[in-house]
Amino acid sequence: MDPAEVEFLAEKEEISVVPNFTQDKIYLIGGDVGPFNAGLPVKVPLWMAINLKQGQKCRIIPPDWMDTERLQDKKQEETDSKFFTEMPSPHFMEITQLLLKCATDDIPHADEIRTLVKDIWDLRIAKLRSSIDTFLKSDATHAKLNYLTLMELNTARPFLTKALDQMHLLRSNLSGRIQSTQE
Amino acid sequence: MTSESVDDYFSISDILTTQERLPCKVELPIYRLGYLDSSSTSDDLQPGTKLDLSFWMARALCSRKRHIVSVEMPRPYREGYREILTADANVVDLHKLGPYYYSYGSQLLKFELPETADVAKSLIKCFQTRIRKIMDSSQNAYNEDTTKLTAKLDETEKCLFKAGQMGLNDFQRWETRQTEKLTTSEMVRSHRKRKRALMDDS
Repeated sequence: MDPAEVEFLAEKEEISVVPNFTQDKIYLIGGDVGPFNAGLPVKVPLWMAINLKQGQKCRIIPPDWMDTERLQDKKQEETDSKFFTEMPSPHFMEITQLLLKCATDDIPHADEIRTLVKDIWDLRIAKLRSSIDTFLKSDATHAKLNYLTLMELNTARPFLTKALDQMHLLRSNLSGRIQSTQE
Repeated sequence: MTSESVDDYFSISDILTTQERLPCKVELPIYRLGYLDSSSTSDDLQPGTKLDLSFWMARALCSRKRHIVSVEMPRPYREGYREILTADANVVDLHKLGPYYYSYGSQLLKFELPETADVAKSLIKCFQTRIRKIMDSSQNAYNEDTTKLTAKLDETEKCLFKAGQMGLNDFQRWETRQTEKLTTSEMVRSHRKRKRALMDDS
């Protein structure tokens, strides 16, 4: 899967915006949006929020987890825990990335948030790598990882599947030796 | 190149794997092939002659039904080298031991030599030990020259390294917002050049 595809999925998440125009409900295939009242917060999909923001038709209200204190706590929790902790949003990386690109003026302490999210990401990736390593070194047939997000899975996928494929081949040498020589 | 040694008739890596040389001993006289052994002058290959044959050839001449030659484990898979791999597989130059170390090793198991079980175990152990280094180096080398990192890897591991790099590069490209920029396809770009070259000629 391409990261752009993961981002596309993330753009379906809902976010609050304050529009500066008034319009009736819009009926879309993905669901109805609106009605918009100037000055009143309304929930719209992320892609629409970005589009409106780019046309300077709204102000984006950042999700409540996008806050230095909350993220600071999250980072601490992630550092302390041996396992993955639950993220405030299954698409935290993509949402941060998209919002920080186009709506920096609506997000207080944008730079700090960027660093914090990146830190959390790095922590989790390091954790993911070491758990992949333990999994490959053990003779386990399955492993359970909770709270992994799609984007994280996506970066490890090409490597992990190939490695497991190769492991399977080498392991079948051990057990399937007798079968293959009976030709 | 996708996964290796899946006994595919047309797989290039499989062909390259099975043309690797293998020390053999002739068990039955083979007539009129004496020229294969350059040190002898006789027309026929005598029993007891030692020579190197390609894996695919040896495989046909040595099986349960036919026993024209007997096969020995090639040196990189013998006890001595296996011990080195057990000591620390991370520092071994697998590419030097055989560019297709794992797949060739797996193929060799088909001969049912006494060491077979040990070799199979050593292959998987070696892979498990080396995987961490490959994973870390492939996921951390962004915009770097990777020839040094991959020099000691065998072909299967290189394939893995490439997969790891793909994961990293795709993500980095997304993070730096390069994915959303539209670029000319490589084909179209070179196509135009070719056309201009054609026009210049005429």
